[in-house]
Amino acid sequence: MAKDIEFRKPKTKIHLFDVINYIVFVIVALIVLIPLWKIVVDSFNAVGVYQFRFWPNRPTVAGYLTIFSTNKLYRPLLNSFITTIFGTLLGLVLSTLGGYVLTQEEMPFRNGLSYFLLFTMIFSGGLIPEYLVMRQLHLVNNMWILVVKHGMNVYNLVLMRNFFEGIPGSLFEAAKIDGCSPMGIFFKIVLPLSKAALASIGLMFAVTVWNDYSTVQIYINNRDQVNFQYILRVMVMDGDTPTTQYAVSQNTLYYAAIVVAILPFMVLYPFLQKYFVQGVNVGAVKE
Amino acid sequence: MAKNKFETTSNGVPIRHKPLGMRIWNNRGFYLMFLPVFIFVLIINYWPMLGIRYSFYDYTVKKMEWVGLKHFQDMFSGKNSSDFWRSFFNTLELSIMKLLITTAASVIVSVFINEMGNLLAKKTLQTVIYLPHFLSWAVTAAIFTLFLSASSTGFVNETLKSWGVLERSIDFLHLPTWWRPIFYLINIWKETGWGTVIFLATLSGINPELYEAADIDGATRMQKIWYVTVPALANTVIIVLILNLAKVLNMFESVFVLYNTRVYDVSDVISTYIYRKTFMAAVPNYGFTTAVGLFKSIVGAFLVLVCNWASKKIRGRGII
Repeated sequence: MAKDIEFRKPKTKIHLFDVINYIVFVIVALIVLIPLWKIVVDSFNAVGVYQFRFWPNRPTVAGYLTIFSTNKLYRPLLNSFITTIFGTLLGLVLSTLGGYVLTQEEMPFRNGLSYFLLFTMIFSGGLIPEYLVMRQLHLVNNMWILVVKHGMNVYNLVLMRNFFEGIPGSLFEAAKIDGCSPMGIFFKIVLPLSKAALASIGLMFAVTVWNDYSTVQIYINNRDQVNFQYILRVMVMDGDTPTTQYAVSQNTLYYAAIVVAILPFMVLYPFLQKYFVQGVNVGAVKE
Repeated sequence: MAKNKFETTSNGVPIRHKPLGMRIWNNRGFYLMFLPVFIFVLIINYWPMLGIRYSFYDYTVKKMEWVGLKHFQDMFSGKNSSDFWRSFFNTLELSIMKLLITTAASVIVSVFINEMGNLLAKKTLQTVIYLPHFLSWAVTAAIFTLFLSASSTGFVNETLKSWGVLERSIDFLHLPTWWRPIFYLINIWKETGWGTVIFLATLSGINPELYEAADIDGATRMQKIWYVTVPALANTVIIVLILNLAKVLNMFESVFVLYNTRVYDVSDVISTYIYRKTFMAAVPNYGFTTAVGLFKSIVGAFLVLVCNWASKKIRGRGII
């Protein structure tokens, strides 16, 4: 009986399950969003309050002014931008070059080169030997360590190779017959066809470098060379706040610093979300 | 090369392979393209491997002296063994618990998302729950340190007090009883959403005919979830667990940004132990910490190989 009614008017029946489902969802979304919203509101609020508010009750931008006018705070921010840009560029150059070469089936020692890379995913020298090597390379107390350390990523290189393998081989054959050199094929055919993969993997590099805190903590002591993540951690956890010309409550400054640390990413995220997800699927779907 | 001499084409003409030297010369462009990668990997990854020898030396600012297996004795049964084993078992417990809890949460959320009819609501929710994954651990720790603080601006403590749940503030991140549950909760908050990506990809691949067949058999919604959706995820869950099991020893940043002297007993992991012993010790002995690192690398390599083998068995391809 109940089935008949459902059959006649399927759209009007609201399942209890759907109601519960949407309630669960709103709760899940709020668990993510409330902390983020509170950070933004508190960063504009002159006094620290514990409550969650939708709007600052005593609005101020002193937190942000402090960050952008205090050398000890904007310098790390600048370092973050520089290292992220160069780290991403280096990462893309190395992973596309390496990934493309590894697709060349006729190249002697191709497997050897693959194993040369894959072995690094199994075994490493460990933190201390790495530190000692970096010290010899003068990369200790030097922000370029972030670029060097993240620029070469075997996992991303393999993702790139997997993507290139999906490009139809006939395209390469045709180009070869037309007299195109390997370099020419790489620049004129492979790269233009790989924009989506480049975006995905470029984002992975950018997020890794921008978000890296532990490398700075381990390798850098000099406050001129640290990145913004490090300064944020030092301020909030160790209470090590630089003196500034603005009267700003600690809380406001902390929350403003958190917002600055996530802002570049938040601005891009809604537009680039599909590329982030693609990055995972390039790796997961390949058979 | 020798056996290639006897290869022939279909009509019996012997195939002459180009000599190796010529093939290398023909591919010179590719070798040149690979050179930067080769140099980087050699310097960043292989050069440090030579440093493994320090684990058999006393290596301090003052001296470098061969000591054989002394550091390994110290580590396993000597003066540093209690701290070392504590960090080893903490690493296992924290990362395996974290892995199981966040995977379970991701599976549950994925099943719910999959049941959502409204496409726009679905997309919006996905966008929202993926977000925390991209916050750095420094940011995450800053947020939760502020929220969980016992001061008058601590969001969680003051809210719970105003609701009458708590009598007085609890300094969550500084109490050994609270640190681990809080650590797991933060991980759930940060990683559950992103963890659904792979499960949702699996769910979108379920043949709709399975649901139709279940409809015809008169299955209720819960029955469909239980007998169609959940079994379809089983394989993916196993793969996700295997993939992550290979990296259980790599835990560093998430612990480092949240732990403190008062909770070392429940939070100190191998990497943080190596870090402290090297960079916060009065007279660091690089030899000893290299030895601990070597132990971690060897166990880690073993785990990767085992997981790779298991992955090949289950889905026909490895993880590396």
